[in-house]
Amino acid sequence: MQRSNRLILIVSLVIVCLGILSIYSSTYQKEGELWKLIYKRQIFWIILGLIFFVLLSNFNYRRFWDLTYFLYAVLVFLLLLVFILGIVRLGAQRWIRFGWFNFQPSELAKLCMVIFLARYFSTKSVDNVELQVPKFGIFRAFIIPFIFVAVPVGLIIEQPDLGTGMIIVFLFIALMYLGGVKMKFFYMLLATAIISIPVFWNYLRDYQKNRLIVFLNPNIDPLGAGYTVIQSRIAIGSGGLFGKGWLSGTQGQLHFLPEAHTDFIFASFAEEWGLFGAMVLLFLYFLLIREGIKIALSTKDQFGRLLAYGICLMLGVQIIINVSMNLGLAPVVGIPLPLMSYGGSSILITFISLGVLVNIGKRRAVF
Amino acid sequence: MRTRIINTILIAGFLFAVLGVFNLSVINGKKLKELSNRNCIRLLPQPGARGKILDRSGEVIVDNYLTYDVMVMPQNEIELNRTIKVISERLGASTKDLLKRYRAGLQGTFLPVVVQKNVDTKKAIALEELKLDFPSIVIQPHPLRRYAYGNLAAHVIGYLSEIDIWRLSKLSDYGYGSKDIVGFGGVEEKYDYFLREKEGALSVEVDHRGKLVRILGYRPPENGKDILLTIDLRIQKICENTLKGRKGCVLVMEPNTGEIIALSSGPNFNPAAFINQLSPYIAGLFKDRDAPFINRAISGVFPPGSVFKGVVAAGALETGKVNLATTYTCTGSTYVGRRQFKCWDTHGPQSLIDAIAHSCDVYFYKTGILLGPQGIHDYALKFGLGKPSLIDLPYEASGFVPDPLWKKVTRLQNWYDGDTANFSIGQGDLMVTPIQMARMTAVFANGGYLVSPYIVKEIDGHSLSSYRKKSVKVPVRDSTLKYIKQGMRKVVSSPNGTASILSGVGVNLSGKTGTVQVPKGAPHGWFTGYFPSDKPRFVIVVFLENGGSGYACSVLTKQIVEEMVKQELI
Repeated sequence: MQRSNRLILIVSLVIVCLGILSIYSSTYQKEGELWKLIYKRQIFWIILGLIFFVLLSNFNYRRFWDLTYFLYAVLVFLLLLVFILGIVRLGAQRWIRFGWFNFQPSELAKLCMVIFLARYFSTKSVDNVELQVPKFGIFRAFIIPFIFVAVPVGLIIEQPDLGTGMIIVFLFIALMYLGGVKMKFFYMLLATAIISIPVFWNYLRDYQKNRLIVFLNPNIDPLGAGYTVIQSRIAIGSGGLFGKGWLSGTQGQLHFLPEAHTDFIFASFAEEWGLFGAMVLLFLYFLLIREGIKIALSTKDQFGRLLAYGICLMLGVQIIINVSMNLGLAPVVGIPLPLMSYGGSSILITFISLGVLVNIGKRRAVF
Repeated sequence: MRTRIINTILIAGFLFAVLGVFNLSVINGKKLKELSNRNCIRLLPQPGARGKILDRSGEVIVDNYLTYDVMVMPQNEIELNRTIKVISERLGASTKDLLKRYRAGLQGTFLPVVVQKNVDTKKAIALEELKLDFPSIVIQPHPLRRYAYGNLAAHVIGYLSEIDIWRLSKLSDYGYGSKDIVGFGGVEEKYDYFLREKEGALSVEVDHRGKLVRILGYRPPENGKDILLTIDLRIQKICENTLKGRKGCVLVMEPNTGEIIALSSGPNFNPAAFINQLSPYIAGLFKDRDAPFINRAISGVFPPGSVFKGVVAAGALETGKVNLATTYTCTGSTYVGRRQFKCWDTHGPQSLIDAIAHSCDVYFYKTGILLGPQGIHDYALKFGLGKPSLIDLPYEASGFVPDPLWKKVTRLQNWYDGDTANFSIGQGDLMVTPIQMARMTAVFANGGYLVSPYIVKEIDGHSLSSYRKKSVKVPVRDSTLKYIKQGMRKVVSSPNGTASILSGVGVNLSGKTGTVQVPKGAPHGWFTGYFPSDKPRFVIVVFLENGGSGYACSVLTKQIVEEMVKQELI
């Protein structure tokens, strides 16, 4: 196995271990058997994720090329299923029950859309094996992929899961850009986006509007919508340089910080490990992403390159948005911190993505 | 090219995150650390009990009993409304009032707010049971003042209330804060520093619902120190019952030491009203024109009338202006200059002792003029008039002794013999407090010493005697005292004595009556005396403001002494 692949595995293992520590710390004082078992469930998901990681790192990623439309269809089906069978939790309908666990299709959507977009923007001419993307007109460069993206994104935003929806839109734009679409389409896209902001605002739910307003000024409603942001900032700040120590964070353990084991795990981690710990964690993430980008850069195959890039961006953007949200520098949207936050779907999909990434890394020499 | 831009964006994102963490934990770290502590650390005040006030034998006059305060931890609206609702159901109080008190009392997210004070034990237990479901309810035991005898000795004790701005500005350097409960008047004010308790505190860590997680620290409250008074509860009761409803005061003092055995001033007030916040009653007290908060025994200034004659007699004997053989004939009046000065009766020829016994004004007009205004003034000061007795009670008045120079300076008038005549029977500008009269009387009773009266015997078991001012010898000869004492004895024992009514009470009294004509209303009455005559143990001063005459005071004295004899207190 190459050096970079090993590095990806080791770094991600260190991160999930830190994640388990933080999940344990922020839940062990809660009442109820369910809470006490939560870190064990996380360990189970990590083991499952590792199995998938190994499987996919040996699964030729080129076969996703053929599976793309099938995956897309499965995704849309699952997202529709969420509306019919979905479980409502925290005011959102995002989960489907599979036997004894809940699955969040919007997590899957991110990976599926990366695969889909990577394939779409790497179509080659049948005649001379040349990339067609730079020659695309507006219709093929923007409108068709937009429709393909809009269907799952629309379904996800309706759940409502604005964060994931926006990430997919971001990935769409980024892969379009990396795929080589003409710049003038981006200017057009920008213009359309600006014009449609007021329209879009009307489609937001009240709580989403609130969150955006609160993001601009969390002190508007300190016990309501701004509460989480304020508590999260307090948690991170009170950690100081070296933190309060594992199991000694007051914000996370005494439940002042809501969602301390999921979306706000970064805050509870930073509270206990301080600036030092947070820096180490961010550095680990940075190593992970950097290895991914190295793989992408050294891959000659356009599909593999875009796929690798897409995965790196998917993880990187989630990390940055989640951390910014913890810091109160981004609106509170339900985006987990990959590999850290509690949640089976997220862990599984992240490990699958990393597995695909490693596979691309293995095969880059083939072409 | 495009990949480089994307890479740059990613790196910028990471840098952004790192800077964000740095900003919070280093630049704002201190502030956020404190906010974090505020989140989870609560200070629960632990009230101590104010010191008790006991009578000279240790009998409780004022102590404390336990009530409970219902407090609520600050929390979000929905929880708060739920909690308040359940409290109002248990207490039968209106939700509105509770919410109003909550909003008024809210100080910070880490301090519980009192929503209902003085809840009895039963209801407190009922609320305590709710704690499982409503962890933000805090029940705090709270000692409250109990006045076992109601109005008894109200002026000696004083009352408790929230500190006012004036006191706060004086006392803030001594650890007093706004909203502190402090003593107003009496021992409660004078000895507040000793009586007041030190509040303790329990600092606890709580979770987001206000539920206690663990105790971080505890400073136990310190109770105030108990104060032992010189008051004898039994005699105090007798005096209170006798004075009941009248405007005036009764003062009983030990003549050798200056211990105040009983001090009763009327009209009085019920100090408990301030604890229960009976506002209409309190407002009524403040509006009352008879000034029930004034302790007449030490803060009231009145002309002494004939009780002052003892001082004039002492002065005249000392300076040799009169002796026992000096006799003046009372014809009912005498002329001083061209003005006629009347006596209250026609006494015929009077020696000094007779003149005291009969309170003959004519005799004293003449003696006074012989002694002269400056002489009377000097002897008045020697007997402790014109300056505070320095008793350990607040707001003592100093009274006033006039002299010719004072009149010249302040009124731009000459002093006439007529002024001297008035002065020598204790009228005119002369003003005294009843405690000064008790001191003056004690000089005769104890053989010539001006005592320093006091009312607090011990604080927390430590006697205050070493801090006390010693008695001062008044520069008069024993013979002078002896003659005046004979006169004072005759006031009671002689059938024509002004207080002959006191002759059959079972103990020999000596004393002097006084009746002061006032511009408006009935005259003031005085009786000052001591008993038993041969070996005095008590000095008594009975004063009635607009209460009629010295006779009325003698009647009250008789009731008091008879009751004391009956209870074998003498």
